[in-house]
Amino acid sequence: MAAGFKTVEPLEYYRRFLKENCRPDGRELGEFRTTTVNIGSISTADGSALVKLGNTTVICGIKAEFAAPPTDAPDKGYVVPNVDLPPLCSSRFRSGPPGEEAQVASQFIADVIENSQIIQKEDLCISPGKLSWVLYCDIICLDYDGNILDACTFALLAALKNVQLPEVTINEETGLAEVNLKKKSYLNIRTHPVATSFAVFDDTLLIVDPTGEEEHLATGTLTVVMDEEGKLCCLHKPGGSGLTGA
Amino acid sequence: RGSRARALPDRALVNCQYSSATFSTGERKRRPHGDRKSCEMGLQLRQTFEAAILTQLHPRSQIDIYVQVLQADGGTYAACVNAATLAVLDAGVPMRDFVCACSAGFVDSTALADLSHVEEAAGGPQLALALLPASGQIALLEMDARLHEDHLESVLEAAARAARDVHTLLDRVVRQHVREASVLLG
Repeated sequence: MAAGFKTVEPLEYYRRFLKENCRPDGRELGEFRTTTVNIGSISTADGSALVKLGNTTVICGIKAEFAAPPTDAPDKGYVVPNVDLPPLCSSRFRSGPPGEEAQVASQFIADVIENSQIIQKEDLCISPGKLSWVLYCDIICLDYDGNILDACTFALLAALKNVQLPEVTINEETGLAEVNLKKKSYLNIRTHPVATSFAVFDDTLLIVDPTGEEEHLATGTLTVVMDEEGKLCCLHKPGGSGLTGA
Repeated sequence: RGSRARALPDRALVNCQYSSATFSTGERKRRPHGDRKSCEMGLQLRQTFEAAILTQLHPRSQIDIYVQVLQADGGTYAACVNAATLAVLDAGVPMRDFVCACSAGFVDSTALADLSHVEEAAGGPQLALALLPASGQIALLEMDARLHEDHLESVLEAAARAARDVHTLLDRVVRQHVREASVLLG
């Protein structure tokens, strides 16, 4: 009976729960789903993390390579994030070049890295003007059940904390880089940005950590990224119903 | 949604896509999908599963199997087939039998089952075998290396034995899962 009503009138079904200040999966309006993290499971990657927010599963793998530093900033390295939403995670995605949602998520992660100064790009420089590290952060969604931005940010942070870079010295005579794989050190993570996503219902109600269904029924979404000092790093509100400042 | 034009009137279309993460190998892999190896793997998986899935039961439909490799350490085809078997069973798609796969090689007159990346890279002959264990039928057998035909028997036997061991494990896992699920449903 309830399943039939849910199929025919999903929004009404949800409103019945929201009136009682709870959600169909038993959560409060401000409650996150069970979160699990598994760090360092991929040994071929320099750093990796698997994050599960309820059913949403995201894995981040980081590979470090050498590159010449950019000409306009010879003492900086690169951090290149990429979010992949394959058709494996949800039937809404097709195979082929990255869709709009994946590109938006990639840009969002790039903005978070840039704005929160999670790592100083100067730390990635080995030899100014000649050699620096480039960290390719590849985030793959394995199961899409809403709130992908939070999961990606979390996975990226956890994976960056897991990255161990070997010591590199430039040989004075040959000018070539010598990598000492025996001596590895962790990255210096300066801040810990955490993303929190909200779904807006009926222009007034905000619920935290929306599932896939909730995102679909919502009239808008909002993502806020803050670090541990309470500083705002990023605010992402892509269209949807208007919210007042209050 | 698949294209209507490709729908088959009497059976289901099986579509397999193989993708390996850029961080799955020692060297960062630049093209996760669309390159030749991924297409070949996708084709092999499709051929394997077309042999096992009862496609006659679902005409004019498409079954998509997406495989994502997170870490590659040899035997990726076998791991993909074993994972896809469990996924297809979990989806409730009817299959003739489990499909269990294993790789095998031949080094120093010894047949080795389930090669790791280091063993594959050594350059000896390698064989990939996908087996339907109950009937002992071979769904797919692939080898492209030089191997004397006298040795083929032993390598095939090693792969088949390993595939049957995988079948025992998969069978036990599926039965336990069904038991747990039926307890939850009451």
